Amino acid sequence: MKEIVVISGKGGTGKTSITASLAVLGGRDVVVADCDVDAADMHILLQPEIAKSEDFFSGELAVIDQDICTQCGKCFDVCRFDAIDVNDGIHIVNELSCEGCGYCARVCPVDAITNIPLNVGKWHISNTRLNQPFVHAKLGIGADNSGKLVAHVKNIAKEIAEEYERPYVLVDGSPGVGCPVVSSLSGAHFVVLVTEPTVSGLHDLKRVYELVNKFHIKAGCIINKSDLNLEKTNEIIEFLKQENIIHLANLPYNESFTKAMTDCKTIVEVDDNIIKETLEDIWKEIKQIIK
Amino acid sequence: MKIAFTTKGAEWTSKMDARFGRTEYFVVYDEETSELKTVDNKDVANEAHGAGPKAVQILSELKADVLITGNGPGEKAGMAMQHTGIECYVGAGDMTMKEAYDAFKTGSLQKF
Repeated sequence: MKEIVVISGKGGTGKTSITASLAVLGGRDVVVADCDVDAADMHILLQPEIAKSEDFFSGELAVIDQDICTQCGKCFDVCRFDAIDVNDGIHIVNELSCEGCGYCARVCPVDAITNIPLNVGKWHISNTRLNQPFVHAKLGIGADNSGKLVAHVKNIAKEIAEEYERPYVLVDGSPGVGCPVVSSLSGAHFVVLVTEPTVSGLHDLKRVYELVNKFHIKAGCIINKSDLNLEKTNEIIEFLKQENIIHLANLPYNESFTKAMTDCKTIVEVDDNIIKETLEDIWKEIKQIIK
Repeated sequence: MKIAFTTKGAEWTSKMDARFGRTEYFVVYDEETSELKTVDNKDVANEAHGAGPKAVQILSELKADVLITGNGPGEKAGMAMQHTGIECYVGAGDMTMKEAYDAFKTGSLQKF
């Protein structure tokens, strides 16, 4: 079983549209995992039917027992996140601001404060409309993605792939370069970098590639909307050469992407477009590389 | 020399875990006494953020000289690791622990 992770560094490059297209091309060979949990949207294209859901706990939340609390205000004084609100002299925890650091519980003279595991949302095992296993998650309001959640989603996807003997796990990776991305990349056999010819597209590509390189993972790059700024596209191609990153393809700007999206489809399901052929070639090439 | 592995089990035949910070287990092999010691990494793997640096702390407490793993530590854990002096070898993510040890001994693993 091989794990392919798609990341971009910058948002809006077309990462998820491309991941969903690869998922469609992979068909029954792939288990799909959406680790871009902060802004999960692959379900819009893959229209999964949820088969199993479970609560997910990550981090902690302070809770004040009002029967014990003497309203002394020590917790309010020490909280560095301004997460203790005072309403009519009653101290309560602002759940959106609390980071669960435990400082308040430590200074509370009457032990009225305890930390409880924080329920951040749910994770799901689903079947996509193409009848593929799909592991994804939905965060609650104000909750953030974590390395832990990403690791969990990936582990479940890998278990399913092993159980049902699917050769590939295809992961829609998290944005940025922080903990969730480290977690997305860890254990990957190949990374697809999706970028666009803009200043921030290249900048964020370089940043995230540092991490990929450090992890010694083979990488290939797709330059999406490549004809919008040929100068930048050439600059990206130069960078790919320098770093020995496989240049998988240029995808010219194509309105079929949006058209497909408004039909809740991927671009490879729209007939008569050149992008479809290119993506088919990319999928073949990736399979060849990681064989 | 004490050699630590990131693994999915406690035996020589156990699979390696490619992950560093959120590995299932650390297994430490003491070459002098031929003893294997297994540490369940559940608590660190359950951290929402910053599993890597905490895992470095565990390795440091285990007094490992060498770590063998899959991808290696991320940015922050890598910095912490440098200060501990533990040498890290990567590329063993798809091996068993025994295969990883042999690969290390024959010098075919890459130094992080």
